[in-house]
Amino acid sequence: MSTPLQILCCLCGTPTPPNASATCTSCLSTQSDITRGVNTEVTLHQCRSCQRWFKEENKWLGCDLESRELMGLCLEKTSGLKSKRGTKEEHKIKLTDASWVWTEPHSMRLKVKATIQKEVDGGVILQQSFIITYIVRNQQCPGCQANFTQGAWKHLVQVRQRVGHKRTFLYLEQIILKKQGSKGALSIEVFKDGMDFYFGERGKGERFIDFLENEVPCKVKKSKKLIGTDVKSNISNYKFTSLVEIAPLCKDDLLYLPKGLAKSQSSINRLCLVKNVGEVMQIVDPVTGQIGTISGGDFWGNYFRPLVTAARSRMGRYVVLDQTPVWEEKNNAKRQTSRQKRRVAELTLMKESDMGSSDSQVVVRSHLGYLCKSGDTVLCYNLTDTNIVDDEARENLEKTNMQDVVVVRKLYGGGKGGEEGKKLRNWRLQRLDVEIADDLRGKKEEEKMNVDEEDFLRELESDREMRERVNLYKLSEAKKRTSSSDSESENEEDDQKVQLEELLDSLDLDSKPDADDQMVVGGVPVTLPDFNEDLAYGGQVGLAWEEGARANQDGIGFIDRDEKVEDKTQPVMVQQFGKEFMKGSFKFT
Amino acid sequence: MATRCQYESSNEIGVFSALTNSYALCAIGGSENFYSIFEQELAEHIPVIHTSISGVRMVGNMTVGNRRGLLVPSTTTDQELQHLRNSLPDGVVIQRVEERLSALGNCVACNDHVALIHTDLDRETEDIISDVLGVEVFRQTVAGNALVGSYCKFTNQGGVVHPRTTVEDIEELSSLTCVPLVAGTVNRGSDVLGGGMVVNDWAAFVGMDTTSTEISVVESIFKLKGEEGGDIVKDMRASLIDQLS
Repeated sequence: MSTPLQILCCLCGTPTPPNASATCTSCLSTQSDITRGVNTEVTLHQCRSCQRWFKEENKWLGCDLESRELMGLCLEKTSGLKSKRGTKEEHKIKLTDASWVWTEPHSMRLKVKATIQKEVDGGVILQQSFIITYIVRNQQCPGCQANFTQGAWKHLVQVRQRVGHKRTFLYLEQIILKKQGSKGALSIEVFKDGMDFYFGERGKGERFIDFLENEVPCKVKKSKKLIGTDVKSNISNYKFTSLVEIAPLCKDDLLYLPKGLAKSQSSINRLCLVKNVGEVMQIVDPVTGQIGTISGGDFWGNYFRPLVTAARSRMGRYVVLDQTPVWEEKNNAKRQTSRQKRRVAELTLMKESDMGSSDSQVVVRSHLGYLCKSGDTVLCYNLTDTNIVDDEARENLEKTNMQDVVVVRKLYGGGKGGEEGKKLRNWRLQRLDVEIADDLRGKKEEEKMNVDEEDFLRELESDREMRERVNLYKLSEAKKRTSSSDSESENEEDDQKVQLEELLDSLDLDSKPDADDQMVVGGVPVTLPDFNEDLAYGGQVGLAWEEGARANQDGIGFIDRDEKVEDKTQPVMVQQFGKEFMKGSFKFT
Repeated sequence: MATRCQYESSNEIGVFSALTNSYALCAIGGSENFYSIFEQELAEHIPVIHTSISGVRMVGNMTVGNRRGLLVPSTTTDQELQHLRNSLPDGVVIQRVEERLSALGNCVACNDHVALIHTDLDRETEDIISDVLGVEVFRQTVAGNALVGSYCKFTNQGGVVHPRTTVEDIEELSSLTCVPLVAGTVNRGSDVLGGGMVVNDWAAFVGMDTTSTEISVVESIFKLKGEEGGDIVKDMRASLIDQLS
């Protein structure tokens, strides 16, 4: 049982509970200012273009106003809050609370109300709140600096595919966006048959090349140019250029394989289709359904060009009239029989344009036979119509009495042509921020580009597997429209259709500068809207949070503009004995 | 009257001096200012003795005494002992104590009737204290501290104890010593009362930092004001006594 006693304050004589300095609160507060030594006006640096904050040498942090991260950065920058190493325990400042104080965003000022505790002489712990003002200054970060400076690159990766269309690059672009392949690229330029990626460091470029090698069959040629050398310290400055050439074969291209290559693929028919392009190319014989694989090495060893390329719709539309499954006795390759999907069937086809005018029908065998039923539309190559450049192929095809029509793929409802399909599309793709070379600026080139893009989008629409490899985003108006479009297409059975659930919400509303080069919100890369310094918030209206909302989300106090804030409050004593006193053998009996 | 003084710019005058009702000890210092303050106040009534104890100046820490006697540690030299014997008034007994805790001033607090001692002191020492000083001896702590000589100070009139002593402890100590006690500080909030002041039944000396409030407390509890004490002091004393009751 102990009753605390009151003693007289040694300065003013007021009865007060005993404390280490035997002084009442008011006397203590008039005598000591624990905020002395804490800097209350601090300068912060922010990059104007990427909105990131300077943390330390070569480290720039992206964080929102009023956020927890920014608060951490601010407090770290405040000298005096952090005790120097070796400071005695009793002289250390303890930060107990910090909250944001509202400031006008254009004022370039941030204000934080901090509450600190410190032991004053005699072992009493005082607590005091005060305002720290942060002055925001603009400073370009090294990343943005490099972006704005010409020739700052160290490693140039030239990606080329010698074909007349852009299909591969459109697909590559989506993969790069999804997997953040070009992370660290200073700038990207588009040329007639390829793209250039500029990197600030050699390693980042190398990483990008590795990434490409995993995605497409390609060949890399590296070279370097000596910029300058320091003989004394044996350091040389090089600029590296890597040429990445992508095999000129695309999905659905018709090939006429070199003899040796066909032989090595278990004597596959020399006329075959490209089924898929990944790290290796998968080919399929359209007549027997036999499949094979061509690796990058195989291809570059016996270089050849496709017989007919699938780009820019050289395929004819045929209607299936009849389908009869074919059971081939010679079909002894194991993987074919085991896979149900690769069932060959005989199809009776008729040109869509001939419907109702002529009776010309063709009967072909197709590896896609199992998919088709009468009434379906398929896309085919008509070899009689095509001008085959390859002499050897032409002669051989004539000799072997090859069928004239090769079925390439079935056309699903989703692949509706023309404007209608375009209108029904409820999704969009993201694009890389690229510069377009001068020779691609013309009207004609633009048209070509648009055709390629439209083709690519249709291809995505009709291929679910391909879609899994890229990110599709909802169009904002898509949600409203779905109900009507659903009822329309309900009768069409279409497993390849783009489902709304597949699409990702486009998150550009919440987009914010992130800690790293790449903006990632919730695992989904997001492009930042262009920064325009003439507009409020640089035109990035989406970045503005409602006052205090962000702080509230992070669990940080926020002092509204209506509340009155004192610059410095009177220190108060914390009801807690000083450390020194506790060390003594005082006992609470 | 309580007098403020300083020993060579140190406020811990209780370390460098000792004061009882029949004599005062003063350390030998570079200047005579400290000594002359004591001399001025006390010379008419009691001898003020310049001395060192075993060669060091901390005469207040090392010794304990009252009207009847003076105890010095075993390290005291013969010469010092002889000097003290010569200077002390007749009837004051001086005795060397063989005690491990040789800073007797820190370990013992006493007036002419009662002594509170450190809990670890030898039984022999306890006997010597009771014989030589003619007091009743109690082993006690003040606010959890065994160094009773440092953390409390009392005379035949009253006493001051450590500021964190609880009401119950004060009541107990007060009943042992049979004088009114109060919790207080000296030297602007210092709780080392034995170090900050020396006091007897009619005079007190406190460190230079002591505030007027602290002096008022000291004067009122040790009854140094006499009858002519001001109203404020009476009020203050009343308020302090109120707390004790």
